[in-house]
Amino acid sequence: MGQQYLDTGWLGVAVTATIVAFILFNIYRARGGKELFIRRIPGLTAIDEAVGRATEMGKPVVMVPGLGDGTVNAKSLQALNIFSYVSRVAAKFATPIIVCCSNASLFALAQEVIRDVYQQEGVLDRYDMDSVRFISDRQFAFAAGVSGLVLRQQAAAAFLMGEFYAESLIMAETANSVGAIQVASSTETTQTPFFIAACDYVLIGDEFYAASAYLAKQPVLVGSLIGQDWGKAFLGFCVLVGTLVSSVQLLGSTTQEFKEGKMNTIPERIMKKSDTFFSRMLNPDPDPKIEITREKYPADQLPTPAPKETIK
Amino acid sequence: MIHFYSMMADVDPKSFWNGTNNSPELIAMIAITTILGFIVLGFLMVAPIQLRKYVIAAVTFLSGLFYVAFYLFPVPVGRKPQDVPANIVESVGFWISDTQPVVANFSNIIGGFLLGLGIYSQLHLHIRRITRQQTDWGFSVVLIVSMVAIVICGYGDWIMRQGPKGSELQLQSKWGLLNYGSDLLFDGLLQQMDAAMFSMVAFYILSAAYRAFRARSLEATILLIAALIVVLSLMGALEYVWNGGINNLAQNDANSFIQNFRLTDIAKWLKDTIQTPAIRGIDFGVGIGLLAMGLRLWLSLETTGGNQ
Repeated sequence: MGQQYLDTGWLGVAVTATIVAFILFNIYRARGGKELFIRRIPGLTAIDEAVGRATEMGKPVVMVPGLGDGTVNAKSLQALNIFSYVSRVAAKFATPIIVCCSNASLFALAQEVIRDVYQQEGVLDRYDMDSVRFISDRQFAFAAGVSGLVLRQQAAAAFLMGEFYAESLIMAETANSVGAIQVASSTETTQTPFFIAACDYVLIGDEFYAASAYLAKQPVLVGSLIGQDWGKAFLGFCVLVGTLVSSVQLLGSTTQEFKEGKMNTIPERIMKKSDTFFSRMLNPDPDPKIEITREKYPADQLPTPAPKETIK
Repeated sequence: MIHFYSMMADVDPKSFWNGTNNSPELIAMIAITTILGFIVLGFLMVAPIQLRKYVIAAVTFLSGLFYVAFYLFPVPVGRKPQDVPANIVESVGFWISDTQPVVANFSNIIGGFLLGLGIYSQLHLHIRRITRQQTDWGFSVVLIVSMVAIVICGYGDWIMRQGPKGSELQLQSKWGLLNYGSDLLFDGLLQQMDAAMFSMVAFYILSAAYRAFRARSLEATILLIAALIVVLSLMGALEYVWNGGINNLAQNDANSFIQNFRLTDIAKWLKDTIQTPAIRGIDFGVGIGLLAMGLRLWLSLETTGGNQ
């Protein structure tokens, strides 16, 4: 929920607005025909190799768009973007695919996307509607289901991309045990080390979001990616300036302290981290304790109270 | 941040989205909304695909706009349920706060419908496997029997607990077949199997670490040494011996330079100076990537997926 922005809470909004402006400007620039460069990402160049291997072996390619938070979010959609490319390559070579979904909304969407891919490639007859499966929305039941599939089908390639938690290593190690080529990426930094340990190729951090631009080379996506890079450079610059300014400030002393929503004069003392300019900027006063007197609705115009919970 | 929901004990604030029980206004609102819903549904079914694309883009934009406003618009300070907004800014703030739970319910309802699709997918796949007696069809039988059993027992148990004798079911002596069935299937089996799967992570960490920590290259060697230091620093006995040795070398001088080489200090330095900045850097990238993806979806600029 929103903030009051009475103190310094506007900073986060201003930074977000700046990055949004960078992204939109670069999308506009790329749409205008400007050639923009994207560096090579090894994990993505390995997609063709992995699908090719599966084709040679006649074994399926398993794709897992992560556990997610039970809804279709930007992370799971990005995973589907990448999987649509993988499916396109697989459809060309008639390689069997299995997409394992952990939530029903994503399952419905994945079915549509994968079906569209086969249709666009002109091989709709090769599309098996059971290739996109809803496994379970419980974390470890999902992990067990995917691991079982990988073992029974002896998958030749596994793509684990999206929002993963503790189940990540179970799936990655199972795929490793059957000798599958694995390309993985987690938006959770806590899971990335597990993927690095267990998988052949890992997209780290924002490489996951760069994937669709790298694969599709659409101007909108490439422009957005360049905008993201500008945003990262901007944040890096802010971190550098913040570090320098705070370090210099901490060498001095202060006679002012921000407390209870206002600046107070105090006897001179050594600067604390909370006194520095950037600390003040980043830590707005959380509760200004303001009371506002408003008019009231008559009691008979208020809604009926909600019934009490009956479950004990 | 002041969150006014904590101030609402029994009464919801008066808003566009609620009304007094059984009042003519509330009934009229429900009727109008139902009719409007059917009109929109009918329109979407007969509309050409190209037009549907624009409708979806408009709905996506408006939904996104609502959540942007929800996160960025200032929250009304110290609101009580019976308060009348003082001005236009507060009216908007009140409206956004009251509307958010309603909008969140939309996605819950759609999610509920889609769960049916998920169950259909499972049944379709496994019944076909059983009827054709494909490989491992016995597992499919187990899955379907388990699914049906847990639905019957779980739902039956829930209904009984909602009823007038629900409170009596706190005593196990009052349980019937459905209550025992639900307890056995959920707490006795499902929860235990979840825990068993989770416990396997420990063994997988070991096998993955064995492969990752082999000194095959310079990077892998650095990784191995760093991991070894952090792991050893967590072993109490070894840490005691190492740190004691360092203390002896420093002749108990707490300010000696060599005190920096205590195992716990090296591990702390690695975590604070190497690991944390690296994670923050990755998090910055992920956050900006997510923002860009969200922006493209919100403005319907994202046209990949099934499209070339």
